[in-house]
Amino acid sequence: MDKTENIEEVISTLSNYSETFIPEIGEDDVNRVNILKGLGMTLADADDYLLELIDRFTLECLQLLQPKTCFSVYSDLHFDLKENTITISNQTFETGKTVTQLLKKSEAIVLFACTTGSAVTKLSKKLLSEGHVLEGLLVDLIGSELAESITEHLHTFIGTKFGKAGLNVSNRFSPGYCNWSVSEQQKLFPLLPGNHSGIQLTPSSLMIPIKSVSGILGVGTSVKKVAYKCDVCNDTKCIMRKSEL
Amino acid sequence: MNSEEILLKLAECVEFGKVNKAAPFPPAMKGMDGADELTRQALEMGVKPVDILNEALIKAMDKVGEKFTQKKIFVPQMLIAAKAMNASMEHLKPFFQSGEVKRKGKFIIGTVAGDLHDIGKNLVAMIVEGAGWEVIDLGVDVSAAKFLQAIKENEGAVVGLSALLTTTMLSMKNIVAEIKREYPNVTCLIGGAPINDQFMVEIGADGYSSDPQGAVNYLNALVA
Repeated sequence: MDKTENIEEVISTLSNYSETFIPEIGEDDVNRVNILKGLGMTLADADDYLLELIDRFTLECLQLLQPKTCFSVYSDLHFDLKENTITISNQTFETGKTVTQLLKKSEAIVLFACTTGSAVTKLSKKLLSEGHVLEGLLVDLIGSELAESITEHLHTFIGTKFGKAGLNVSNRFSPGYCNWSVSEQQKLFPLLPGNHSGIQLTPSSLMIPIKSVSGILGVGTSVKKVAYKCDVCNDTKCIMRKSEL
Repeated sequence: MNSEEILLKLAECVEFGKVNKAAPFPPAMKGMDGADELTRQALEMGVKPVDILNEALIKAMDKVGEKFTQKKIFVPQMLIAAKAMNASMEHLKPFFQSGEVKRKGKFIIGTVAGDLHDIGKNLVAMIVEGAGWEVIDLGVDVSAAKFLQAIKENEGAVVGLSALLTTTMLSMKNIVAEIKREYPNVTCLIGGAPINDQFMVEIGADGYSSDPQGAVNYLNALVA
């Protein structure tokens, strides 16, 4: 089969895909180390009381989880390596150098959004309002971890789908990270299918439910996942930072 | 137990986060009276509320703050200590209201307009209150008008502003500008994940802190 036809066929198939992928999320999807990192701690710093609290609220959050994902696939692309922009279906994203460079060889771009639903955040707020601040904070951190896990599952799902046609997927990138402005959410959302998994976007580009993730990833024969370039990034406050300066 | 002993025990409860008798933490104090019970007992014994606040609660939270700064404890222990402090403070509230016990000052705090993140703001509010300040929490998505109204109603208050998005940093800039225009002498302290010292200087705020203890240290230095 001609490679171009193969890619077009795969994209055509997946372009009809909307909110039908709901990942199965379990305890293994919540990494205690990441929760502790959010508290400024390592595993060695944590006592049994804290670890038991994390485990207890992980189970509670899993009961409340309402995961949803959606994605759309675009092959109408233009990469401007001088201006560091990506134009997707006539919408130009100012993705910045890092994201543009890593996606420039993509033959298709996937735009996605994922959410935990609102129940986890409601639990966090309830605990905070009752004076259980540590517990509320833990649920908030677990919620963030679950949002990332849902996104990771979607990323794997998309990778598997395209993988069957011999295509690779790149890293995923979200507005607000890697020097890509969070305000670009306003351009991204109209390109998502349907009701964007029930996620609403405020004028300040905040997603509601808060524990939601949106972004893009590249697809093609010449893209691949690489280590995030945290060591050369100037955003020292990034919560996703994967290396120390 | 005399008053000195009870204040020492109360301070220990706050320092190590023993909220009340039923609380399972810390394991070493299981089944013992906590900050809640000891404060009630101290008041019944005739210990002055101002001594409870200054000699037990604030001294204990000062130790907690020092240990946090030295990285001997972390956010969870700070929060549990603050919870124990607040359990004690519940008994002192009537004395604050009557004016018999005065706190260090007033701190107005809110997440700026357009932003709904509140966890960090809530942590700061709790720790600052635990350090002996009266906290007026305006909540989230707080407009300039609401900040200004709170400043008008709470003379001498320091203002804390939180933002967690780069989009709402602009909102913070505008709000600080409006506060400074209306009340040039009001101190503005800012915080949030995308915030830094450079931004503080850029928008004309007075202080920046990346964590709750930093906010406490900044506020305490104002009244020292």
